[in-house]
Amino acid sequence: MKKIIINISLFSALLIAGCTKNFDDINTDPTKASASNFDPNLLLPSGELGYLSATTGYSGPILFQSMWVQTFASAIYPGYYSNGDKYVFGGSYLSYQQSTWNNAYNAASYLYEVQNLTKDKPELSNLSGIALIVELLNIEAVTDTYGDCPFSQALQAKAGITAPVYDAQQDVYNSMLSKLDSVISTLDASKATPTNDALPYKGDIAKWKKFGYSLMLRMAMRLTKADAATAKQYAEKAYAGGTFASNDDNAYILYDLSDGFTNSNTNALKTTEDYSEVKWGKALIDYLKSTDDPRLSVIAEVPQTGTTNAANQSLAGNSDPSVQVGMPNGYDQNGGSTDISKEPNYPGVAAADPAISGDKPNVTGKYSRPKTALYLSQNAPAFILTYAQTEFLLAEAAARGWNVGATATQHYANAIAASLQTYSTYNSTGNISASTATAYAASHPLDVSSMEASLKQINTEYWVLESTIFDFSEAWSNWRRSGYPVLTPVNYTGNFSNATIPRRQAYPTGEASTNPANYKAAVSGLSNGDTYTSRVWWDK
Amino acid sequence: MRKLQLFVFLLLLNVAAMAQTKQVTGTVTDSKTGTPLASVTVRVKGKNVLSVADANGNFTIAMPAGSTTLEFDYIGYAAKEVEVPEGTSTLSVTMDQSANNATPEVVVTALGISKEARKLGYATTTVSGDQMNKARETNVALSLEGQVAGLNVHGTNGGPGGSARILLRGISSLGGGGTPLFVINGVPMDNSQRGSAGEWGGSDNGDGIGNLNPDDIESMTVLKGLSASALYGARAANGVILITTKSGKKGKMTVDYNANYVVDQAINNTDFQYVYGQGTGGTKPATASASLATARFAWGAKMDGSSFTGWNGQAATYSPYKDNIKDFYRLGPSFTNTVSVSGGSESGNYRLSLSNLDNNAIVQNSGLTRRTVDLSIDQKVTSKLDITVSANYIDQQDKNPPQLSDGPGNPNNGLFLAPNIIEKTLAPGYDPTTGHEVVFSDDNYVTNPYFVVNQWINDVDRKRLISSISAKYNFNSWIYLMGRMGYDHQNDRYLGITPTGTDYSYNSAGQSGSINLSNVQTSELNLDAILGITHKLTNDINLDATLGANARRNQSESIGISGGPFVVPYLYTPYNVVSYGRSYGYNKREVHSGFYSLDFTYKNLLTLSTTGRYDAYSTLYYSEIPKSQRNLFTPSVSGSFLFGELLKSSVLNYGKLRASFAQTSGEGSPYQTAVYYNVGNSINGVPTGSFNSTLPNLFLKPFTLSEFEVGAELKFYNSRLGVDVSYFNRKSKNEIMNATISPATGYTGSVIANGSIQNKGFEILLTGVPVRTRNFTWNTSLNITTLKNEVLKTDAADNNLSLGTYRPLNANTAFVVGMAGPQIMAHDYTYDSKGNIVVDGSGLPIQGDLKPFGSVLPTLYGGFKNDFTYKNFDLSILIDYNFGNKILSATKYYALYRGLDKETLVGRDNGIKVDGVYQDGSANTTTVSAEAYYQRLASISKVNVLNGDYIKLRQITLGYTINPKMPVFSGIQVSLVARNLVTLMKHSDNIDPENGFSSLVNYAGIEGTSLPSVRSFGINVNFKFKN
Repeated sequence: MKKIIINISLFSALLIAGCTKNFDDINTDPTKASASNFDPNLLLPSGELGYLSATTGYSGPILFQSMWVQTFASAIYPGYYSNGDKYVFGGSYLSYQQSTWNNAYNAASYLYEVQNLTKDKPELSNLSGIALIVELLNIEAVTDTYGDCPFSQALQAKAGITAPVYDAQQDVYNSMLSKLDSVISTLDASKATPTNDALPYKGDIAKWKKFGYSLMLRMAMRLTKADAATAKQYAEKAYAGGTFASNDDNAYILYDLSDGFTNSNTNALKTTEDYSEVKWGKALIDYLKSTDDPRLSVIAEVPQTGTTNAANQSLAGNSDPSVQVGMPNGYDQNGGSTDISKEPNYPGVAAADPAISGDKPNVTGKYSRPKTALYLSQNAPAFILTYAQTEFLLAEAAARGWNVGATATQHYANAIAASLQTYSTYNSTGNISASTATAYAASHPLDVSSMEASLKQINTEYWVLESTIFDFSEAWSNWRRSGYPVLTPVNYTGNFSNATIPRRQAYPTGEASTNPANYKAAVSGLSNGDTYTSRVWWDK
Repeated sequence: MRKLQLFVFLLLLNVAAMAQTKQVTGTVTDSKTGTPLASVTVRVKGKNVLSVADANGNFTIAMPAGSTTLEFDYIGYAAKEVEVPEGTSTLSVTMDQSANNATPEVVVTALGISKEARKLGYATTTVSGDQMNKARETNVALSLEGQVAGLNVHGTNGGPGGSARILLRGISSLGGGGTPLFVINGVPMDNSQRGSAGEWGGSDNGDGIGNLNPDDIESMTVLKGLSASALYGARAANGVILITTKSGKKGKMTVDYNANYVVDQAINNTDFQYVYGQGTGGTKPATASASLATARFAWGAKMDGSSFTGWNGQAATYSPYKDNIKDFYRLGPSFTNTVSVSGGSESGNYRLSLSNLDNNAIVQNSGLTRRTVDLSIDQKVTSKLDITVSANYIDQQDKNPPQLSDGPGNPNNGLFLAPNIIEKTLAPGYDPTTGHEVVFSDDNYVTNPYFVVNQWINDVDRKRLISSISAKYNFNSWIYLMGRMGYDHQNDRYLGITPTGTDYSYNSAGQSGSINLSNVQTSELNLDAILGITHKLTNDINLDATLGANARRNQSESIGISGGPFVVPYLYTPYNVVSYGRSYGYNKREVHSGFYSLDFTYKNLLTLSTTGRYDAYSTLYYSEIPKSQRNLFTPSVSGSFLFGELLKSSVLNYGKLRASFAQTSGEGSPYQTAVYYNVGNSINGVPTGSFNSTLPNLFLKPFTLSEFEVGAELKFYNSRLGVDVSYFNRKSKNEIMNATISPATGYTGSVIANGSIQNKGFEILLTGVPVRTRNFTWNTSLNITTLKNEVLKTDAADNNLSLGTYRPLNANTAFVVGMAGPQIMAHDYTYDSKGNIVVDGSGLPIQGDLKPFGSVLPTLYGGFKNDFTYKNFDLSILIDYNFGNKILSATKYYALYRGLDKETLVGRDNGIKVDGVYQDGSANTTTVSAEAYYQRLASISKVNVLNGDYIKLRQITLGYTINPKMPVFSGIQVSLVARNLVTLMKHSDNIDPENGFSSLVNYAGIEGTSLPSVRSFGINVNFKFKN
């Protein structure tokens, strides 16, 4: 009896412990795909959208860069726009500081994975190539914002690299340019095209080639200050390869509210506080007025009087160019010396609307705001790279005497005409007819009296375009590179940049703990340490 | 009032009953030596009338009429019953010293097997249910605070449904999360934490142990050492707490009714400055908009009682207001009613209890209701077959557990209002006509607290059945076979509503709000087969052997739907949204194990035990993982030596030495071994995809924990004085855990398998009975735990492993090799080579490197308990203490940043010239405003690291037992209770050092923007009914 029982028990023990045949199955997640059945095409749109997560909305650009380049202004202190308007930390500044880094690397990781998953699938070489191009776009966003950053060892945690070295920005740029050069040539219209492209290209290889060369041009021109030879080499190569030819080539993503994808710039600006607080900057409005730019009435409006009307997002404002007033940066409503009412050109209080009971006067109600009808749809497009941009860059290249086909004057005229016609991508509110655009371009030719005069005009217009299509990062980067337009920094108490316009973002705070040695090495190379006043390599 | 009358009536009855007694006096002596025995307990059989012999062994007791027998009880002597013949009023009683034959103290050990305490080679502590159900906590685990050496328990400031962080001998593993395994009547129960707050907010939705009704708990036994819990394998890595629920006793049916009423009151720990009012730049706000923007900034002018336009545009007075916490938080009463029926016979017993808890939190519109049914039946089917069934059904509804830590939906945002603002002016938080939230500050993501309590919804409902059925067949007196099935099933429903009107949620079409509805089903099934043998190998050597197998399956499935904004305002259904999303989660794991234990006992002097367990974990299986690293065998060995038996000392009446070594193994989570890809929403018809941002690991193998423990248990002077000491040294190896890695790697986290951590320390329990007289007894106990933790290895490169952070984001906790974990990593100043503080061009100090500033876990903690009984009164006082830990305080950050901290009074008028140097080395000459200085100072986050030491008067209970001679009741006990009465010592300004928004180890020691801690007072009344 005893033996039998022991035998039974032993047997059952072994049975239970030993029966692990289905354990592999149990430990396979039934809700997800594996590498063997997953379509790598699906990751391309995630990488494309990720780039815009890094460069739009509260991810830093609108709260930091939009006001550093004085596109916008906000006369509130304290508040989260003080980071941008006054270089004074406010809100969750550490989270804004790190968003571009986190989002861009996240996007790049999807694109890097596309390349991994297509390694042994030569038939998907176009997908792989385009993924690399978009990956480089994301890396550019990182390095332009922060400077030195992981690149050669980045995105390779799967291969065991969990503490990647920070590459010098010069190496990052050289590597990006040469990678771009070689990958664009592999794009082949006779092979399979990407099936999931969130850009309007819908996988069109010819358009992607143009995008590749246009990106190369933009990266090349970023180096004019730091390494003009490389800039020239790749700008000419890009032109020869074929950059954008018209606004039809523009790279942007149209958002899709019904599926939960919304424009982050819109999301920010439609927020109640932002809506009443964020105004066009004085520098921008003054410039548009000085050039009689037809865009002024397309992009700006002065809200109807009082605070209630101004907060009503369905109530259009006054778009008459003559009433538009830009707000200077660095003011508040706290009653002290920096109170907005004390700014030299203060347009006065917008009186309360007598028709609305309890309405209050609106202290900032006479300043121009971004026009609601144009910008504030959650389905609005977000721009990545446009034809007008590439023509401005080519105009500068030509002005520098580089071999980019047409003259600076011609490229500039193309750029101006295209600029004015960019806004129709938002909706019909943005329509400026081709004839108006070309006529304006013809009547406002490039000043070729000196190269400096040309550069000033080109880059100021570039700033106008990037500001008004809400590509704040690009406006800021190009301003840092070119020095145009000349902006007067704000000097507000407690600012974090010694009263200068910030020239880089500090690294994400997490880097000091997750990648300490490489982080420290990178910081040691910065003139002012890991601060907003140190400069990236190409901004020396 | 009615209750009071009843009470007085019963008291009178009791006095009347006392009159009908006869006095019996006598002497108790040792049967051999004739020495008088002091402190013998004398009791009237069947009554709760007792007396204690004095130093000369003399006693007096009042015997009620009709009683004929006295019971004598004394530690180290055999209990004795003596008949008192009619007419006799003096007695001479002798007692036999019988240490060996006295009923040995029995403890429940692993797998529900009872063993004699003195034979154990490891430390255990048992806490009886009585100690937890009077001064009760909604989460019963919190009642263990300060009661058990080695055990460190902290709740969250997340409301009544909140969870408990329970650490036994510190964090024994890096990734284990810390919580011990709870085993209820032999069957493991799920104690997962559901929902907790992090730096970005969230609510504490409670844990598993918090579901139990304290009235149903007979006792909790803490198995501390690994060898004690080795039979449970992986999940015992953090220790085991065995819960025994109440069961019926042989005898007549008894009915028990317990009523408990406790009121929580918010404690204001703040000591802010009330000199300067709202504003910035030293000025009182001049306009309504400036007033609104500065509602949470106290950088204004000196408050002078003048009138100005307040945050809401209404006229206000610029003078201090100190009662916001008192105004905003209400008294939170909890009322628990439990009725139980129990009884038994020779062939079995039963107990059924029904309980209802109605709790109101200190936050309006928030609270908890819990209904429980507990059934236990034990039936002898035949003389050899015994079947037990237990079932515990819980229906718990946690209404609006508050959002913590971050701003949105958090009702505690009023804490940082400028000192002149009356929080009540924020009520009702919305515009009565439009329903739109009234924004009260510069940031609309910081929700108006009144809008939160009036409009936000966060409901967590749970229905849970913890059940077990077991059959035990005794082949004969020394061999049995037991089969057991335990099933723990939970059905949780979460409903979160960001209501219509929430300011930050508006879209351009004027629509707002969102809904998040989900349902989670979680279950755990355990099947056990155990063969037990007790055999006398020789006359002196006894063998207890157990052989068993366990199969465990955990499964969970969650389905969720979310959407927003609402099309029709205030209609909160998932249909009524502009756009919606869905979520689905599923995971499953199995563990198959075989185990044995062998105990050899020699002459009741020496016991040697060994256990072994072989585990196969499904979570470590994947086609690419080598078979050799999937399964593991882990052993334990322990021994005890009752050397006291050999000494026969008159001073030392009990002496035991024990030693043990044990190893257990652990696993990871499901699906950590492969890369998976997800398909996401389509944008304009183009489907998107993604993959998990946590990198999987193909090199996983079971991790191991090893522990060495030695201890001694000594009792002196007939157990009037006791000492129990343990030394333990525990080490983990190859730990599987998630590490935070730089997003530049392509992932934000990775599963690593290199971790190693060591914990060593002493546990000391001193017990004493300083006074024991006829009417008065004083029992005292002091428990002390010292702990030295060291992180030995993190990932392959020994990088710091980041854990949690707080909302200001400028510091975090991390595992740092060579230091105690989790360390607070905070920014120091920047110093030059001479150690001077470096300032920037504006004269403000520059944030420097991230450095370790101490561990968030204590190095010394414990409790000091004193119990007094005087006649029918009993008084119990518990003090607990905690030393050696640091706190990362967001409250400190905000108090500095917003000018609320008293520290910020310095330099207000004339500014501050930092004693430091510029970057070029020259002395600083710039004076900065206090506002600029303290806002910069707050970012040098080491200033936000506070000392976490405290001593608290944790609990007082005062009870009175009535033994009425009356119909209906056979006993009534009334207790007045109070918890968290006074903080006797602390060094952390403006906060309770125990404050925290999460009970997860990752967030231990991090606090900010959560509920104030509470003090509670109440009464517990227990009625035993006659039948």
